[in-house]
Amino acid sequence: MPGVTTDSRSFCSQSNTLRPYLAAVRSTMTASLCLTNFSSQVVERHNKPEIEARATPEVLLNPVLISRNESERVLIEPSINSVRVSIAIKQADEIERVLCHKFTRFLMMRAENFYVLRRVPMSGYDISFLVTHVHAETMYKHKLVDFLIQFMEDVDREISEMKLSLNARARIVAESFLQQF
Amino acid sequence: MSSPEVYQLAIGTPITCHAFNKDRTQLAVSPNSNDVEIYQKGRTGQWELLHTLAKHDRMVTGIDWAPNTNRLVTCSQDRNAYVWDWDGKKWEPNLCLLRINRAATFVQWSPKEDKFAVASGARLISVCYFEQENNWWVSKHIKKPIRSTITSIAWHPDNMLLAAGSTDMKARVFSAYIKGVDSPRTYPLWGEKLPFNTLCGEFGSEGGGWVHSVGFSPSGDSVAWVSHDSTLSIAHGRDSVPVEVPTGGLPLVSMIWTSETSIVAVGHDCTPFLFALRGQQWEVIGKLDQGQKKAAASSSAFKMFQQMDSRAQQQNNEVELNTTHQNTITCVRAYAGSPDHVTKFSTSGVDGKLVIWDLLSSGMAGLSI
Amino acid sequence: MAHRKVNVDQYADEDIFVDENQTAQGSTAVSAQTEADVDARAGEVRNYLSRGDTPAAVIKALENPPAGREVTAVKDKNTATVMSALAAARSTDILAIVKSLDSKQTDVLMKYIYRGMASPELYNAAVLLAWHEKTVEVAGLGSIVRVLTDRRTV
Repeated sequence: MPGVTTDSRSFCSQSNTLRPYLAAVRSTMTASLCLTNFSSQVVERHNKPEIEARATPEVLLNPVLISRNESERVLIEPSINSVRVSIAIKQADEIERVLCHKFTRFLMMRAENFYVLRRVPMSGYDISFLVTHVHAETMYKHKLVDFLIQFMEDVDREISEMKLSLNARARIVAESFLQQF
Repeated sequence: MSSPEVYQLAIGTPITCHAFNKDRTQLAVSPNSNDVEIYQKGRTGQWELLHTLAKHDRMVTGIDWAPNTNRLVTCSQDRNAYVWDWDGKKWEPNLCLLRINRAATFVQWSPKEDKFAVASGARLISVCYFEQENNWWVSKHIKKPIRSTITSIAWHPDNMLLAAGSTDMKARVFSAYIKGVDSPRTYPLWGEKLPFNTLCGEFGSEGGGWVHSVGFSPSGDSVAWVSHDSTLSIAHGRDSVPVEVPTGGLPLVSMIWTSETSIVAVGHDCTPFLFALRGQQWEVIGKLDQGQKKAAASSSAFKMFQQMDSRAQQQNNEVELNTTHQNTITCVRAYAGSPDHVTKFSTSGVDGKLVIWDLLSSGMAGLSI
Repeated sequence: MAHRKVNVDQYADEDIFVDENQTAQGSTAVSAQTEADVDARAGEVRNYLSRGDTPAAVIKALENPPAGREVTAVKDKNTATVMSALAAARSTDILAIVKSLDSKQTDVLMKYIYRGMASPELYNAAVLLAWHEKTVEVAGLGSIVRVLTDRRTV
């Protein structure tokens, strides 16, 4: 059943904060996706995402952090023509850390196909998105936010599933190896 | 309630800005590209493409159509502006020497159409007037004390003062008096001796955001602006403290005065808002687009609760919004009526639609504008 | 030009944008008077909480926040006061308390909600998420936009 993680790391209180956490991310994202085309003030005839260039301090807005607990956070850094969203995924043990790293690396190497994905995550986070005014013009903003929320949910589920299948395979391999003794 | 006239001019591309000619039979539009397209209202009532003006090298950011002299002025991110004259067969461009070294963001003809002002990212405003000897448009700069890109400008009805909003969070009023073009004037609310580039008023709120759009009231006594902190602010004269009207929605990006006591503003909420002065207070009256409830697609109850639980989404996963505009509205202009009693206004937005709204029959019952 | 560390434009350009909140002499810089205010307020909020009057505690805690770009101990102290008031409220009371605040107070409340969530190791995020949900319900997305644009950060 979606919304409730199926492995042992889910406690009752965890799934109680999931809905308000996603609601907070949704409303903050909607508020920061108010982007406009802004020609660079520093270089003529250039148009850069100001959150990456950081050359004009007055067009940057305050970054905000939405956290569910210490290990699950979303950092949203808005500016006049671009928004950077960085997600820290919950990684409870070594195996999950490895799986998360491999999974996000797989996605980030194919960042072009995602349009809004950043090739390198911000330090302290596992994956980052860069949404510019061009994306906001060609895509519906509310669907962009839907995509991000869906992504946050799916990543958690994928990592749990991968961990379960990994454990299952390891058990089968160990059993068949030890049978010969 | 008469529903608004909707024209889908471009599919998949935003309309950056639009301008009508005097009798509203022709429309100039910038479809988020380097060209300006002129449409004519055909017999079927739809807009048909008549001319394409291709002279700019970068995106066209501003268009204004002078109603009486029938001239177009366009400005672009390529640091240029052109004045287009209609010679009976085609539009002829005339280069204007703006002398700016960054993108131009906004342009507007003065009320008498003998000057126009261009806002730019070079942190200055270029006020241009026609020089007869050399047959071109020359400019004078308003520079101090602007500290960042100017996003929008608006002329005072008397052709002399200019309001400017900027990304340094301030709205300012300058004198754009040009010797030879204007005759000197004094204003009780804005000041006396007003040579070019005099600062007649500087307004900003402490926690303010970038000013997206400014406008003078029909009498010229008040100036209003919308800023990124989702507020509409109004100042009455140079020494007044601005009145702020915070809204609970997303930021507004463009506004017009529809009378001395009412303002229509549009923005990221995809619907026009009406503000009015009730007694001594400026208030949000409401949205002018109530939206239609789309017929609910037959999705199972399980799916609905699943979405509510997992993704914190209350309504059905619809792609379309239930407002007329499907994305941010970026430009609003008066369409019919006089400046102090606008009866219709037109909006264009990121969804490529041009919509003409009827203010009087918009269903705001009991409203005395 | 990545080896050039100094931004020479800031010295040549008199008209560059200066964020007044960021300088030590700015109007929002923290002074000794502010510290005394913050301590006095902390005491009053503690009184209200011990008497069980949570709505008044929240309103008092949200008064005159020390704001400005520098991160100082004074702002941290005031944040702790506000968090203690917010955590004391019962989840059923939150909506009523938020409805009783005016526009300026809800903006300050929203700033503190985000400030609290920025330190999940110090403050309980679940409580703050509940406050966030109710505040957005009452004040709309405009309050979040104002947190993003207002340079007087708490």
